[in-house]
Amino acid sequence: MSSITLKNITKFYGDVEVIKNFSQVIADHEFVTLLGPSGCGKTTLLRMIAGFEKPTTGEIMIDDVVVSDSENFIPPNERKIGMVFQSYAVWPHMNVFDNVAYPLKINHVKKSEIKERVETILDAVHLLPYINRMPNELSGGQQQRVALGRALVSNPKLLLLDEPLSNLDAKLRESMRYEIKEMQKKFGITVVYVTHDQTEAMTMSDRVIIFNKGVIQQIDTPINIYKNPANEFVRDFIGRINFINGTVNDGKIIFSDNQFITYSGNKSGDVLVAIRTDSDGYIVF
Amino acid sequence: MQNLKYYFNFKAVLIFIIAAFLLLFNVFPICYLIFRSFFNDSGFTLEAFKRIYTYSLNWTALRNTLITATLSMIFGVMIAFPLAWLVGRTDLYGKKFFRTLFVMTYMVPPYVGAMAWLRLLNPRVGTLNVFLKNLLSLPDNPFNIYTLGGLVWVLTTFYYPYAFITISRAMEKMDPSLEEASKISGASPLKTVLTVTFPIMLPSIVAAGLLVFISAASCYGIPSIIGAPGQIDTVTTRIIDYVYVGSAEGLTDATTLAVSLMLIANIVLYISTFICGKKQYITVSGKSTRPNIVELGKWRIPITILVSLFALIVVIIPFATVAITSFTKNLGKPLSLSNFTTRYWNILLTRKTIFDSAMNSLISASLAATFGIIISCVMAWLLTRTKARGRQIPDFLITLGSGTPSVVIALALIMTMSGRFGINIYNTLSIMIIAYMIKYLLMGMRTIVSAMNQIHPSLEEAALISGAKWQRSFRDVVLPLIAPSVVAGWFLIFMPSFYELTMSTLLYSTDTKTIGYELFTYQTYHSQQTASAIATGILVLVIVVNWILNKLTKGEFSI
Ligand SMILES: Nc1ncnc2c1ncn2[C@@H]1O[C@H](COP(=O)(O)OP(=O)(O)OP(=O)(O)O)[C@@H](O)[C@H]1O
Ligand SMILES: [Mg+2]
Repeated sequence: MSSITLKNITKFYGDVEVIKNFSQVIADHEFVTLLGPSGCGKTTLLRMIAGFEKPTTGEIMIDDVVVSDSENFIPPNERKIGMVFQSYAVWPHMNVFDNVAYPLKINHVKKSEIKERVETILDAVHLLPYINRMPNELSGGQQQRVALGRALVSNPKLLLLDEPLSNLDAKLRESMRYEIKEMQKKFGITVVYVTHDQTEAMTMSDRVIIFNKGVIQQIDTPINIYKNPANEFVRDFIGRINFINGTVNDGKIIFSDNQFITYSGNKSGDVLVAIRTDSDGYIVF
Repeated sequence: MQNLKYYFNFKAVLIFIIAAFLLLFNVFPICYLIFRSFFNDSGFTLEAFKRIYTYSLNWTALRNTLITATLSMIFGVMIAFPLAWLVGRTDLYGKKFFRTLFVMTYMVPPYVGAMAWLRLLNPRVGTLNVFLKNLLSLPDNPFNIYTLGGLVWVLTTFYYPYAFITISRAMEKMDPSLEEASKISGASPLKTVLTVTFPIMLPSIVAAGLLVFISAASCYGIPSIIGAPGQIDTVTTRIIDYVYVGSAEGLTDATTLAVSLMLIANIVLYISTFICGKKQYITVSGKSTRPNIVELGKWRIPITILVSLFALIVVIIPFATVAITSFTKNLGKPLSLSNFTTRYWNILLTRKTIFDSAMNSLISASLAATFGIIISCVMAWLLTRTKARGRQIPDFLITLGSGTPSVVIALALIMTMSGRFGINIYNTLSIMIIAYMIKYLLMGMRTIVSAMNQIHPSLEEAALISGAKWQRSFRDVVLPLIAPSVVAGWFLIFMPSFYELTMSTLLYSTDTKTIGYELFTYQTYHSQQTASAIATGILVLVIVVNWILNKLTKGEFSI
């Protein structure tokens, strides 16, 4: 159980209003993605949910508990949240195992269980062979996966991911997406996800929040955002889209003129394929 | 909320305590000193200044101080910057060894350098002089240490490590990808150094130069060992001469001269902060990076030879000279089996006065370092992790204290802390501990602040989000990462306090003599060999302690 309620959140840095009157309820088990141009306030919003920043005004609730308003403040360490930082924040003085095991140690999990759970999670992020490496012996993408493993290991009910896959190759990204999505479904986690990658946003999310200069532009399901962009900014931001109907059959999507593209996703039957004109990627709904 | 309020007060209390300490023992005494130089019993007067500056010797002393300090600063930085870059950023052979060697120079008393160079470049019998004369078949000995040039030489070779430490620390902190970005844009390694590395380092370079200037300008040991025979006076030697006169007038004259010295120091301090503000380019991230190494290519061997030569001349020969002197029976003859003696080491190890002085120094330096490092840690936390109001006040006061010439600190403490204002700690170890803290706190604080800056806040946040309380996050994340710097910072306060001479010369009493003072009196009045034995003893101690710490921290300990 973890829903997030944000009520009239504003955030100022000095005189600059970074978040402007933001209100939204993120439901339990929901996967919500924040999408928007660089510097629009995505990280700031996550950090307020995590408790590293205090909103200038407004109220944040996790489930029924007020975690932050003008009077109450629950510090981050008591919020039971998993988080991947945009800068990874992998501890340079601990090896991969110790980094990932840390949240479990803090929660007094038994030694034998820690080992088992860390190994499971490291397997999922494809880092098991690196278990004894120090962070400065890892590539950027490997460090990022350590951060992901550390966020997932304690099975938090609420997961905040700040561009967790930005440094990975397409294939690894797909496999990590799958792992995150599986975990989310299996444990019923609520996820707030920040990304610049539209494919990521559209394929994983229940709802997408398009965000610009601290103001919500549109909140909707991925397909509705594509079909009915709320305003010029959104239309421009997501780019021109063509939709084609097709049918999934045996690793292919077959279109009406018998043309096909290969497909390895998990949708079946009749689907809608969205193709962005400014890239060769496509998204299957 | 209740909790939060208490938290704020807690920070305010810390700031208040540190500021109060410095105000009481540094700012107030100095203000009194200034007051005394302008006011006598009958009111405001410039008489003292007139008296001082009608005496041409004092003008010469002032000029000498300015010249030597400025030149030492320029040469010191010119040596330290390339060395720091070579040792920190390139594939120079034996980098670690060189680093240890240069840093170790910081840990020996600067006046030991004067003792060594005196023996090497004495115009008549200096070993190196004679050697060079014979080697190059010169008509005369090439060098004379008893000159302004000689003074600059010794000051430079013993104060450049201050700059080296400051600059190489900043160098290590710099994100290597910045240099890589420049190279990928087509800049040659040299161009990269000049257009990227140097500008980013500039604030540290200015800070380093300042440190050398203040240290050289307020140094007493070197000018009094080298200057006395050459009749070269500096402001510090004049001040101490005036104090030793003992009369009230002498003390006023000393005070007045000290105010002049402080004025110079402060002008330099302000000009330099004005030039580059307090900006520090911090380029650290939560990502772990490998240090990037510039390959010297065909220059690797020639440059390594050059650095080795430098190390040989500036570090190894002087240290060896002092060590050899401590075993020499007759200083007029070269060391040989018949001229060899362990007598002076026996004196060192058996004479009770030396042992007592060493104990005094050990106690006061340890206490100064321990209190100092506690303040440094608190200040580093306040400066890098909080936005507590007024946290810059103690920061400013600490910088001010270290920028104050040692003689001025000591003199001001004598004038105010010997009962005139209800506090009498004159003739006690406390007054020394306080003086050491004021003078050397900055080195410790800088070390820890820079270590804290290297810990990206997200590293702590990651621990908090994992469920750790801030105390736990401090223990698991911050402490392991800054521990080597805490140890290093402790030593940066301990070592100069341990062998301190200038302030101790003014503050000691019969019961509180320090090892620095002891060494100095042996050198000037009794026996150079005993002095050399003490100096070598300190040297051996430094090497051993360094080695142990390196073993204990698995090579992480570095200054
Ligand atoms: N500590 C701070 N002080 C002042 N301004 C800040 C601070 N942190 C962020 N900002 C500003 O707030 C705005 C939002 O920053 P934020 O990091 O939330 O952007 P973002 O959407 O995560 O961008 P990106 O996609 O590039 O990571 C930016 O304009 C940034 O300059
Ligand atoms: Mg961001």
